[in-house]
Formats: sequence, C-alpha cells, structure tokens
Amino acid sequence: MSLRANDVLSGLALIIFALAMMALTLTFPAFPGQQYGPSLFPRILGVGLILCGAALVLNGIAARRAGAPWVDLAPWTRDPWRVTSFFLTLAMLLVYILASETVGFIPIALVFLLALFFWLGVRPVTAVLTAVVTTLLIHYFFSTMLRVPLPRGWLNTIL
Amino acid sequence: MDALITAVGLVFDPFVLWVIVASAAFGIFVGAMPGLTATMATALLVPVTFFMPPVPALGAIVTATAMAIFAGDIPAAMLRIPGTPASAAYTDESYAMSRKGELDLNLGVNLVFSVIGGLAGVAILILCAPALAEFAIHFSSFEYFWLALLGLTCAIFIATDAPLKGIASLLIGLAINCIGIDPAAGHPRFTFGSVELLQGISFIPAMIGMFALSELLRGVVTVDQSGAVLTQKIGNIFVGVWNVWKRYWRNFIRGSAIGVLIGALPGAGADIAAWISYAISKKFSKEPEKFGTGHIEGIVDATSANNSALAAAWIPALVFGIPGDSITAIVIGVLYMKGMNPGPTVFLQNPQFIYAVFLIFILANLLMLPLGWAAIKSSKQILRVPRNVLIPVILLFCIVGSYAMTNSVYGIIIMLVMGLVGWIMEENGFPIAPAILGLVLGEMLEQNFMTSMIKSDGAFLAFFERPIAGVLGAVTLLVWAAMLWRGINRSTVPTAPAAPAQ
Repeated sequence: MSLRANDVLSGLALIIFALAMMALTLTFPAFPGQQYGPSLFPRILGVGLILCGAALVLNGIAARRAGAPWVDLAPWTRDPWRVTSFFLTLAMLLVYILASETVGFIPIALVFLLALFFWLGVRPVTAVLTAVVTTLLIHYFFSTMLRVPLPRGWLNTIL
Repeated sequence: MDALITAVGLVFDPFVLWVIVASAAFGIFVGAMPGLTATMATALLVPVTFFMPPVPALGAIVTATAMAIFAGDIPAAMLRIPGTPASAAYTDESYAMSRKGELDLNLGVNLVFSVIGGLAGVAILILCAPALAEFAIHFSSFEYFWLALLGLTCAIFIATDAPLKGIASLLIGLAINCIGIDPAAGHPRFTFGSVELLQGISFIPAMIGMFALSELLRGVVTVDQSGAVLTQKIGNIFVGVWNVWKRYWRNFIRGSAIGVLIGALPGAGADIAAWISYAISKKFSKEPEKFGTGHIEGIVDATSANNSALAAAWIPALVFGIPGDSITAIVIGVLYMKGMNPGPTVFLQNPQFIYAVFLIFILANLLMLPLGWAAIKSSKQILRVPRNVLIPVILLFCIVGSYAMTNSVYGIIIMLVMGLVGWIMEENGFPIAPAILGLVLGEMLEQNFMTSMIKSDGAFLAFFERPIAGVLGAVTLLVWAAMLWRGINRSTVPTAPAAPAQ
C-alpha cells in the first residue's frame, strides 16, 4: 500500500531535522535576567526528536536484519500512468502557485481542471462542461459571496 | 435561562438554519464518498465558515461531521469500502449482511442507532461540560500545562499502535508550531527573514494540506479503482429496527457509553471508539461465532459509539480548549481565529454560545433521520459520481480555500508543503493526528510551560505542588510509564487493531 522507507532512514531524517533546529536556536538572543528564553522549548523538542530518531534507527536495523528492504515501493509506483498522475497533481499545484497572480483565477483554474480531467480519463464533453461550471461557481462563491480577492490577472487588462 | 433564550434566537435564525441544512447535505455527500473523511469535510468547510459569525460557523461543522460519520456506513454496506475511517470497524460485517439480503435492515439500524447514539453523546455533553467548566475555572498555568501534555499523551497512547512514531509525529507538530514569534519573549524563530513566516504557520491551510491534500494524493493514484455497487433494491429501511432495539438495547447503551468515554478523552475520536466498542461487543456477546458473518449485534455497538464519540469530543474542547479528536482540533483553531478562546471562561462570558452549540447538536442529530433516509434512497446516484471528476474539483476547492485564509499564495504554499509532509508521514506509518494536535496545542503548552517555569524560577517540583496539578502530572507520568512498559514488552503484547489515520 505504501511507499515505505526503512525506519533507519526515517530515524536519520528526524535526527538531522532536530540537529538543524537546535543549531538554529543558538542564534537566538539570551535576555538578561531571564533564564528561560525562546530557545528552551525548541531545544527540548529537539532532544525528544533525537531520542525518537535513535530508537527508530535501532528498530530499523533490527527489521533490516530480519530481511526488510531499505525502501518498500507500493505497487502503483510501477505503473507509469499512476506515477504521472501523482506528479502531475503536484506540478499543477506549483503551476497554480506560480502563475495565478499574473494570469488570474479563471484561466488558471480552467487549465488546472482540464489538465487533470484529461489525464485522468474524463470524457472531453464532461471535462469541459464540469471545468467551466466548477470554475464559475467557485469564482462566484468565493469572489462575489465571500469577497475573497481572487487574483484577477488578465481580467484587469481586458476590462 | 436568559442565555438559553438568546441561544434559541441565535440558532433558529433563517440564515443559520439554511447553513445547517446545506452543511448537512455536504456532510452526507463527503461521508458517503469513499476516501473523503469527516475531518476532511471540516477542513474544507472552514474557509467558508471563516466568513460567518461564530454560531452558523460552528453549526456548519457540527452538522456536517455528524452527517458524515453516519453516511460513512452507506458505502460500507454497499461497496465494502468505509466512507470514513469511523465505519471501518464494521465494514465487513455490514457488507456480509448486504450479501445475505439484509441491506435494508443494516442501513436502517445504522441510521437509527447513529441518531440515538449521537443524542446520547449530546446528552452527556450537556450534562458534563458546564459542571466541569465550573471546576476548571480555578486552574492556573500549571494545571493547563499538565492538561495539554496529558491530552497530547493520550493522543499517542490511545490513538496509535506505533507509540514511537506517534511521539515523533507530535514533536514534529510542536516543532512546526515554533515557527513565528515565540509566545514568551516575542522573539522571531525559524522565520529565515520571511515576513509571512513571522505570523507562524497558518493553521487552516496546514490542516487542509495534511487532511485533504495528502488524502487526494493517495486518491489520485487509485482513481480507477472502486468497488462495484450492489444491485440490490432498497426497500423500507425501518422494518425490523424495533426488534433489533428490543433485543440489543443493552448493546446500544454500552456502545454509546464507550463512545462517550473515548470521545471525551483527548486525542481519540469516532474511529477508535468504533473499533474498541466492536471488539468489546464481540468479547461479551452470547454468540461471538456469528460475528463476521453478517450479524447485527456488533454493528449496534459500533454505529452508536462513533456518533456518541463525535459529540463527547466537544467536552474537553469546550471546557479546557483541548481537542477530543482531530475534528475538534480544527474547531479550536476556528474559535481562536474568531477571538473566542475556548476554556471555562466561555461558559461564564458567552453561555448563549455554548447553549447554541448544544441546540445545534440536538438539531443536527434529529435532522439526520430524514436526511439520512433521503441519502440512503439516493445512495446509488451519490456513489456513481466518478472519482476522476471529483478529485480535481476538490483540489481546486482546497487551493481556493487555502488562498482565502491568507489572501495570498502563501496559504497555497503552506497547503502544498504540509500536504507533502503529511503524505510522507502517513506512507511511513507516522500517524497525522498527533502532529495536528501538536500544532493546535503547541502554543498553549509552551506558554503555560514558560509561565510556570518563570513563576517557579525553574523548580520543576512546583509543577506538582498544587493538588490538581499534582494529580494531573502524576496521571501523565503514569501514562508515560505504561507506554514505556508497553514498548518494552511489545513482542508479548498483541497490538491493537490498526486504526487507519483520519
């Protein structure tokens, strides 16, 4: 079911994360007359994370001895169509983040929906109709009813 | 009494009633769609409720989640796929009943016992919360520190079968919460010079990422895999329910009681309640051999338990500001955003608001009967909505919802990053709920910890000097000891049923 890394790897990742966090707390200033500053709590968390990470590494070594692989790939990772679906979703989110301010909500939402619909195999007529209706409904709901300033983008130059 | 009348006025307002009915329909749809959970319904609702006054905002969440927990039973019986994790405990049993031709009875029992289980949970909530609040009003930073810590500890101890990864998840949540201005000295931490990180990780986009985006990423790779809908015709679902009640009313009481207990404990919610009450039902049944073959007994226990747990989870949330499950964790975030700090003082200052929540809970559970019936009748149409259309639409909704929380792409970036973090964590067996609790409770925990440290000048024993703080501290340490003991004896102790993360 999953894309599971051996606990050694998860544990090491936690330890590295904790060390980086604790290293950053060294830059926090100490306040004169105040023993407990902003660095105390993150440092306690860091110690906890390192302990957890170490225990996970030990677990992982035991599992490795028992024959567990370093990385256990889920079945879907061997199907190129599914792998592309996964990364296309992330890529479209990135495209939205990067382009929405310039292009505006309506065009970017249409592109976002149509790209995913077509890739996931929705029939063209359904895809176009649903994309247009959904985009306009969400725009009406958030922009007109809730007054969220959705990016206007190209609309500014046209209107 | 005045407060109660004000509350009635607040709830029976046309706009509030409209919001309740609309979110009920939304909750039923989300609950009935496999892969969309009650927690996700809440996360998706929050950007909308953000723009409403507190009463309709909470009404929407209460109603949608109550409906979703029931509606999760429908695909369980028809597709053998639980609609929400709270129905997972008895999915096989329900499906076996359908195969025996008892789909009508199964859905009828699920609906009726969900309604009365929910009402039982609400009754306990109404009875206990105000009394507890009176008690909690005298708490100081020491008590709150221990309460927050106990809540987080319970989340790990009860909610996961991998305590080590639960603790790690919690610490990750607490560490993420450290980003921004620190609560004691006001110094910016881990902001890397970014102005937007100064305000901290925006809670709602983080929530949408961890609960919705990570689930959608899982859904998008299995988009073409769904069960075949049973072709059985649905008749009168209420036939035979009365006989089940006469035979198994004790199971109902036991299931609701377990649900209330587990719901009220911080950190564990409806899905754990269903697993445990189903297991207990089997253990004490006169005919345990029938379990698994399409037997109604365990379903009565578990379907009552998950709905009563949902209401009981609001007890610690309203009284102490400590969430009883991941749904109330979101609710607490919403309350803070609305400037109403949950805790005993709300009962004194805004009692009408507490009564309004109670009223909405009763209303939502009563509304479940007709709406649930309608949902069952139209379930074939609901279940026919293709997932390859649904997933992109919900994704767009997540994007716009996250954007609306910050009015900038910053919200979407948080959603994306936290969604990926949540996805990686779940894939590697780290439960997400503790991280979310850490994110919600982190500030309260750190603030009370720092205040207490400064008050006591670093003497840790002061944390045990006040009587209630001492008891709470001792209980917390006991749970830790039990957890350690369980960790050491892991090979000899059978693991609890693996509850899928919410």
